Amino acid sequence: MRVRHLIAWLIVLAWFGPANAAAPDCSRPFTLALHDHGLLYSADTDTGIDKDVAEELIRRSGCKITVSLMARARIWQLIESGALDFSLSGITDVEREKFAAFAWYFSNRYYLLVHKDSGVRNQTDFEKNEKLQLGVIRSFRYSESANRMVDRIQAANRLTQAGGLAPLYKALMLNHIQGMIIEPFDYPTLEEKKIRDVTSIIEFKDVSVPHGLIMSQKALPSAERAKWGQLINAMRADGTMRRIFEKYFKPDLAAAMVDF
Amino acid sequence: MAVSRLLLLPWLILVASLGVTALLWDHERQSNRGELRAQFDFALRDTVSRVEQRVAAYEQLLRGVQGLFATTDMTNRKAFRDYVETLQLDANFSGIQGVGIIERVPSAHKSAHVAAMRRLGYADYRISPDGEREIYGPIIQREPHVGRNRAPLGSDAWAEPVRRSAMEKARDSGLAAVTGKVQLAVDPGVEENPGFIMVLPVFARGQPRDSVAQRRASLIGWVYASFHMRDFMASLYGKQVPGLAFAIYDDVDTTDGALMYRAGTVPGKRGTVAHDALSANEYMIVAGHTWTLMLSTQEEFEARYGRDTASVIAVTGVGLSLSMALLGWFMVTGRARALRLAAEMTEELRHMAQHDPLTGLPNRALFSDRVQRQLADAKRHGGRFAMIFLDLDNFKPINDNYGHAVGDRLLQLVARRLQDSIRASDTVGRIGGDEFVVLMADLSGPDAALGLAEKIREVVRQPLLVDGRELNISCSLGVAVYPDNGTDEMTLTKCADESMYRAKAGGRDCIQLAG
Repeated sequence: MRVRHLIAWLIVLAWFGPANAAAPDCSRPFTLALHDHGLLYSADTDTGIDKDVAEELIRRSGCKITVSLMARARIWQLIESGALDFSLSGITDVEREKFAAFAWYFSNRYYLLVHKDSGVRNQTDFEKNEKLQLGVIRSFRYSESANRMVDRIQAANRLTQAGGLAPLYKALMLNHIQGMIIEPFDYPTLEEKKIRDVTSIIEFKDVSVPHGLIMSQKALPSAERAKWGQLINAMRADGTMRRIFEKYFKPDLAAAMVDF
Repeated sequence: MAVSRLLLLPWLILVASLGVTALLWDHERQSNRGELRAQFDFALRDTVSRVEQRVAAYEQLLRGVQGLFATTDMTNRKAFRDYVETLQLDANFSGIQGVGIIERVPSAHKSAHVAAMRRLGYADYRISPDGEREIYGPIIQREPHVGRNRAPLGSDAWAEPVRRSAMEKARDSGLAAVTGKVQLAVDPGVEENPGFIMVLPVFARGQPRDSVAQRRASLIGWVYASFHMRDFMASLYGKQVPGLAFAIYDDVDTTDGALMYRAGTVPGKRGTVAHDALSANEYMIVAGHTWTLMLSTQEEFEARYGRDTASVIAVTGVGLSLSMALLGWFMVTGRARALRLAAEMTEELRHMAQHDPLTGLPNRALFSDRVQRQLADAKRHGGRFAMIFLDLDNFKPINDNYGHAVGDRLLQLVARRLQDSIRASDTVGRIGGDEFVVLMADLSGPDAALGLAEKIREVVRQPLLVDGRELNISCSLGVAVYPDNGTDEMTLTKCADESMYRAKAGGRDCIQLAG
């Protein structure tokens, strides 16, 4: 009888064992890079969703993680090479699947912000008018039809790239570019009257795209990546993620982004 | 129809092969363009990346200085001097004009600050420009203390909007910030030498700095590195891709006033810029500040990375297409021409088989054929016709006296005269040496036949001019009429022949009617 009890306990321990072991291995310090992008992170104020997510990850993992600010293009390069462990709010594509792993924590749609003088009413108008320049952040990917549009416009030599969003807004104001692709994090900027007055928003007809914690495959073994993924899932499950988003968005939009 | 269809073939070949050429040419042109584009994109990305890396290296250097003040006071002049000296700002860091310290001085501390600086030995130290302000940001130390860096201290960076903006940004973010285009304080006067300054905030030791408010409260100054754009660009690692013109402008403004650096022909202006140049702007962000990089290809770029295979394909393809079409045309028309030749030869053979080679008149065979047809016709419709036999009188002596050539020529002339005398419906043939025969169709009666015979006799009697010699000859004629003298060819021939002999016997140069 006792032996049977012991075996049962062993089975229970074996079952819950991995849950206890789910804390990531903190034997070395990690690196995490943020990129300056609207509400995700603003270097000017050193605040943003991603910064909050990073702090929560640090708190929950108990690991030392050095957080720094980089251009998005450089972040992807370093994730690929393994020099950088993490970044946040990344979306995937075929290329990135080869070197990065993701743990999704929100999802959103993409919008085309156009200068009113361009006379553009939909995505096709923009693509067809050869005079219009599209501004994008170097290395950024979007939803399916937005990606297709960016690729076609690049092939037609009509793409202006930037290291961040701020110069794109300025260039759009000056009509140096006539369109740019934005996400909900960019709404506060849009609320500025001078921008709202000269632009209009066109929604891409794609499903919303999941964004998540980016983990370098080279830097982190598969088992460790799974543990970090579980931390993110736990943050979603206990409502922490939603609370972070509600700091920056109205509750309904925050819910729509976090519950996907 | 078949021939005209065949003649379409060379055109089809031409159109098809030109079409293939056009496709190949277009494909090659596009792939060439794509390759140039890829090369250009690479160059753009590479240029941006080289600038960013250099900025990052300088930022790192400045972080070292920032780190120094985590361990010692900002006013520890010797520590700072020794630190910068240890950095060994050699040729590798030639982009840096100088590294320095700016102290944040609230107006209440101004006089104490000036007094302290004067005690350090800077007897005429003052904050410039003059005037009362809430906050001052004077430069209190510049290293290495050589050359232009010996310019007077005390210049108030906080009072100058472009510098102040970066200093505020660095203070609030806690990160490095870069100013817009400035004239460095160490540069005397008018010389146009665009520069920029990178600043990092220095916070009071042990004070919290986690929020903007905390950072503002604990800020005590800044460390900075100043750069001449020209020197900065010269210090980039790696090699610029040749054949590219590029310019860097402050912020997103691409007017001359914002120009910070230029290499090669200015993009967008005439000169050595390639005809269908590739060009692009990229807004790069260096330490939170935007620079616009304007890059465009020059002729050298296309010469180096472009391939001219498209035009080779075009020329070769058009040449080959034309050759193939021409070959096709030869093949198609060659057959047609051979057929025509065969037809002509057949016709010639037929003519030879039916005509007398000397006079070109129908021979006995063709004449007989015509007689048969005339007979059938006359029998069916009940018509009449005549057959006239004609023999030249005393022809042999002409041959003997003047030679066969003259005789032949005479026969030809007589043949022509005979032909000119008859109607189109009649036939004259030559059936032997000097013997001719005339078939006179649709005859009204024997008199009409005699009339024609008489006309012929008269015509032949006219003098003939052969080789400048006047010859006279006559003929004897025998006439037989269908159906009066016979109803078949043989009978008619026999009758006409006999009549002709009778005319000969009757003294020549006369006509005998059969019967």
